[in-house]
Amino acid sequence: METKQFIIIGVAIALVIAIVAPFLASGSPDGLESAFFSIYGAKPFMGSELDEDAAGAAEEQVVATTGNDFSYEALMPDYSIPGMDKGGEVLAVVLGTLTILVLGLVVAKISARPDN
Amino acid sequence: MGQALVYWIIALIFIALALRWARRSMGEEKIPLVAVLAAGIFAIQALNIPIPWGTSGHMVGAALAAIVLGSPYAGVFILTLVLLVQGIIFGDGGITVMGANIINMGVVGGFVGYYGYTAIKSVIGNVYAAAFIAGWASLFISAILCAVELAIAGTFPLELGLTMMGTYHAVIGLIEGGITAVALYLIASARPDILEHPTAVSA
Repeated sequence: METKQFIIIGVAIALVIAIVAPFLASGSPDGLESAFFSIYGAKPFMGSELDEDAAGAAEEQVVATTGNDFSYEALMPDYSIPGMDKGGEVLAVVLGTLTILVLGLVVAKISARPDN
Repeated sequence: MGQALVYWIIALIFIALALRWARRSMGEEKIPLVAVLAAGIFAIQALNIPIPWGTSGHMVGAALAAIVLGSPYAGVFILTLVLLVQGIIFGDGGITVMGANIINMGVVGGFVGYYGYTAIKSVIGNVYAAAFIAGWASLFISAILCAVELAIAGTFPLELGLTMMGTYHAVIGLIEGGITAVALYLIASARPDILEHPTAVSA
């Protein structure tokens, strides 16, 4: 397979994953979040019911424990575009994928070993 | 906050080492592969796969990057780019703890993934089984280290944190190992020449 073809197929696969991810991705808390909610009593360790109030309280408690209350408004918070629904999520992940593709090309180009 | 700073300093040291690796060993022909791997890893990290217990997990990808590019520093290099975009543009993972995330996912994922892969491959001889096991181990050990860091920070009790993080990520590791092995197979089939150790891949 030629390099150009390999790259096009690779980018296509990444974009397909980016487009389907908002529809297929599980909305359940990930491993770290699940452990966090379980430790703070908002969710059973091996159960699935999440107590939203307890979860919110747990988040406040952690801010108090660590003293880290730094926050800022991201451009596309939680892989969404404010004011848009599923289409916004697809667009967000696609834009992110293209951003990292370009960033990867630029940073790799700058830092690669020169051929000559 | 002091703890986060320590992790940032360690992360910056590994980023510098990763840049040194790139300057010495990452040839210009690898540039497109690095970019495509970074984009693919970013996309697949957005795809949370359900596991039991009302929980989900997703790929990290450092082990795959390290195996394909033949250096643990490739995992650091690519995961740092992914974590930067996730943190700054999407508010995912955060800025303060990005140093810790770079260590846990990029450094641990890259080193456990790469050295786990080469060691297991030399023992059992099958590259895809080695990639699966190394991918699993890279994710599991990252999660264990994360639990220790959270215990030091005072947010997770050590024993409970280790039990829960270990249990969930022992399962999520199967996702990491599976995708690592499948992606390695696809890349090796399409372009055996661009793998860092082409002779070791029989496909």
